[in-house]
Amino acid sequence: MEFEVTREDIRIAWLTALALGMYVLEMAFPSPLPGFKPGLANIVTVAALVCFGWATAAWIALLRVLAGSLLAGTFLSPGFALSLSGALASLMVLGLAVSVSRKALSEVGYSLLAALAHMGGQIGAAYCLFIPHAGLFKLLPVLMSAALVFGLLNGIIARSMTQVLLAK
Amino acid sequence: MTTADKTVLILALALIAALYAHSWAPAPAAESARVSSAGKPDLWLALGADREVVIEGVLGPTDLEIRDGRIRFRRAPCLGKHCIHSGWLASDGDFAACLPNAVAVQVVGKGTGFDAITF
Repeated sequence: MEFEVTREDIRIAWLTALALGMYVLEMAFPSPLPGFKPGLANIVTVAALVCFGWATAAWIALLRVLAGSLLAGTFLSPGFALSLSGALASLMVLGLAVSVSRKALSEVGYSLLAALAHMGGQIGAAYCLFIPHAGLFKLLPVLMSAALVFGLLNGIIARSMTQVLLAK
Repeated sequence: MTTADKTVLILALALIAALYAHSWAPAPAAESARVSSAGKPDLWLALGADREVVIEGVLGPTDLEIRDGRIRFRRAPCLGKHCIHSGWLASDGDFAACLPNAVAVQVVGKGTGFDAITF
């Protein structure tokens, strides 16, 4: 049995590799507090969303979570469950944003929405799966503030990335 | 940044402000304190009036002081005096105990801030 490898597949593989590189790079940075991470890999997701559409972005994000967990040794661990729920939540919000906004949003808006949804999805999953205590939501404003800052920065980086990509 | 981006940013800022206001609002003022002492029914003390209350613990009499809507252990016959060092209990859910003496005080308002505390 042979699979036909399309241009789309190769593109997804390259971009996923790029996202994984960023993910691994980010693991090397010490985190000041649990939960504070820049989420650099989301730059690739957002750039792919703008250049190639939602399906490509979804493939990259989910493959990155899967392969990233294998690299980090966290596959099927609680951290993996949080990572996956964050990715799913941000993909859902991005899909909604694409269909609702009809190109009104730029990379910055998408990245912001994705970061907030990612954080919201993670905290929701943490509450449902691991820590069903209302005290968890005391963290929500702080973590959401961090998501806002990193989402903005990542969006600006994604914007300059797509401008280079689309100029070619 | 497009106009839609700015709208998203403003909405996000509003959401975060609302989250801070909702999650970090000061705990509601306490209304009463529940005093548990081994082998006796719970005693409810209103925190409205300033006074001192003596509770009979396992080791002996224990003084509780109520002032300005707060309550504290003032004198206790235990060794460690952890209960006294806990200081004033003012907010909803605040809790202190004198374990050797088997006396515990929890401040209760409209809803408790904690469901359990371990030391």
